[in-house]
Amino acid sequence: MSDASEGTGGLTFDKSKRSWPNELNVFGALILIIVAFEILGAIFMQQSLLFDTRDRFDSIFNEARLRIIIIQVAIIGIIAIGVTQVIITAGIDLSSGSVVGATAMIAMSFAQVAMVNGNPNPKAIFGEWALDLPWIIPVFVGLFCGFVAGFINGILVAYARIPPFIATLGMMLFARGVAQWWSLGNPVSFPTESYAAIGAGMMPVWIFLSLAVLFHFIMNFTVYGKHTYAIGSNEQAARMSGINVPRHLVLVYVIAGMLAGLAAVILTSKNLTAQSGMGLTYELEAIAMAVIGGVSLFGGRGSIIGTVIGALIIGVITSGFTFLRLGAFYQEMVLGMIIVGAVALDQWQQQRAAARA
Amino acid sequence: MKKILLAAGLSTLMMGTTAMAEMQIGVSVARFDDNGLTVMRNGMTAFDDANDDVSLQMEDATDDVAKQLDQINNFIASGVDAIIVNAVDTNATEAMSNAAASAGVPLVYVNRQPINMDTLPDGQAFVASNEIESGTLAAFQMCRQLRAEGKSGGARAYVLVGQLSNQAAVQRTKDFHDVIGMDMCNFITIIDEQTANWSRDEANDLMTNWLSSGDEFDAVFGNNDEMALGAIQAMKAAGISMDDVVVGGVDATSDALLAMSVGDLDVTVFQDLAGQGAGSIQTAMALANGEEVDKTVFIPFKLVTPDNLSDFQ
Repeated sequence: MSDASEGTGGLTFDKSKRSWPNELNVFGALILIIVAFEILGAIFMQQSLLFDTRDRFDSIFNEARLRIIIIQVAIIGIIAIGVTQVIITAGIDLSSGSVVGATAMIAMSFAQVAMVNGNPNPKAIFGEWALDLPWIIPVFVGLFCGFVAGFINGILVAYARIPPFIATLGMMLFARGVAQWWSLGNPVSFPTESYAAIGAGMMPVWIFLSLAVLFHFIMNFTVYGKHTYAIGSNEQAARMSGINVPRHLVLVYVIAGMLAGLAAVILTSKNLTAQSGMGLTYELEAIAMAVIGGVSLFGGRGSIIGTVIGALIIGVITSGFTFLRLGAFYQEMVLGMIIVGAVALDQWQQQRAAARA
Repeated sequence: MKKILLAAGLSTLMMGTTAMAEMQIGVSVARFDDNGLTVMRNGMTAFDDANDDVSLQMEDATDDVAKQLDQINNFIASGVDAIIVNAVDTNATEAMSNAAASAGVPLVYVNRQPINMDTLPDGQAFVASNEIESGTLAAFQMCRQLRAEGKSGGARAYVLVGQLSNQAAVQRTKDFHDVIGMDMCNFITIIDEQTANWSRDEANDLMTNWLSSGDEFDAVFGNNDEMALGAIQAMKAAGISMDDVVVGGVDATSDALLAMSVGDLDVTVFQDLAGQGAGSIQTAMALANGEEVDKTVFIPFKLVTPDNLSDFQ
């Protein structure tokens, strides 16, 4: 039993006790949901969700739908990559949605064009010096806003010893206030062309997937990843074994904040506008993606791949509902049931795995 | 003659107000971060800045019914001359009316119609635009344009609905249904209607989802401009020519007017929100001065098309 001691979760486990990795369960759920939509689609719509049944494309798949399934979750997915790391340390980040709102307003103010259709930009926030800037400046501003928010979160959690729920709840309210105060509630619109290219077309997806791959490797093959899991599994033990826990926690929250800042940049670029209500409930959707993907809120367990599949599940469900033309009133009810169902299933799987030991 | 009367009226108005000390008015707005309500708020602030005889105290109710009632009671306790409320939840206005009436403070509801409209106590009024106008104006213009394009043999439309819990969303969607129920417009059928929560991003994704079904369509109606703009972005990304689709929205935001000027948006409706804000202050001042005021003060909607676009830019 001694090799079970390198367990990385609330429940100790070693590979021999589990029949297959947890991500495979989540992937199975994704396939199951797709099959369910295909069957319902065949019965009620005489159409397929993922396959091309109307000869619109040369391929066998309905490419437009495959694209939108992932586009619509890519931006929140980027936030979820950071939230996953925070949750693995047994923390939580409720501030990401509001950080998106505040960062959107601030970053967009540095991305505006001088002339709109031959007239001066009616939504310009600053004077001429901030107009027609190269795209790198608003991107840097956005990352910096995320950095500041994450840094404050991290300091509050790691050094002031404020529970993550409370610390990030405070940041959630504060950042939303900043978003509204920045332009007194007015939208910030009309970005430069180079800035608008950041979130155009499939760009959000490529950024999301690249970051997912990057952080998958970081979490699995670097000291940073090992320490993150160790802190979430047993903070006391992590401290005893010489990990500088507070410093590491600050780093985790900073990364989560910067990912939220980046998400805000992509969101405003995609929509060509920033509004103070942007990012509302994104934190909850990001947490839902992680949780559906098998990340344990008790810490120490979960993976970036799981979260990506969790995001895909939400994307498939959203597109599937529209595909079936399911009344808008029912969609959230069904989504709520699926989230709870996914976690219940995962819990049951885990208990079975533990019992087999 | 008219001019003299007007001048006389203005001078008495001015004398009437300059004789008084600065009037204190408390304002509770449902949400500060709502785009439309911000325009209304700016209308109030502009009126305040332009008039020395009135001073506003503006509060954000952050979409919280209980908080809004507390704010009103605080206004009453601090002895304001009148209160303006943009209700968070129009079902909760009875308690607000009672609190103001028993304290003898005039109360003006703005933008959102109170549930107790029929039993509004003396010294209270409602300033808004007639919500039924907005959706109807937009839908009817879309119908006319589709006919003009020779699509009266049959046209198919998508409807982007605002937040399902919001009265304006329900009303504007119903208006669209009512218009296509008329003989002249019954060639329009709705393929699907779904909520995009007033949001450009959600509308963009929703429209892309619809496009992936590959159904032919001729028109898209958004309950507000933001959603119409999101749909336009999705259609342009999919390579659809905006000449082939009639797109309508409501609000006439500056982003929407720009989209109209480049030929993307076909119809929108201008809700004079700044006018509502200023009108609510004028009504509150009149009530505080003990003047007779109609229970409902309507600020009219205006249809905006490429033809009269320049009037609004």
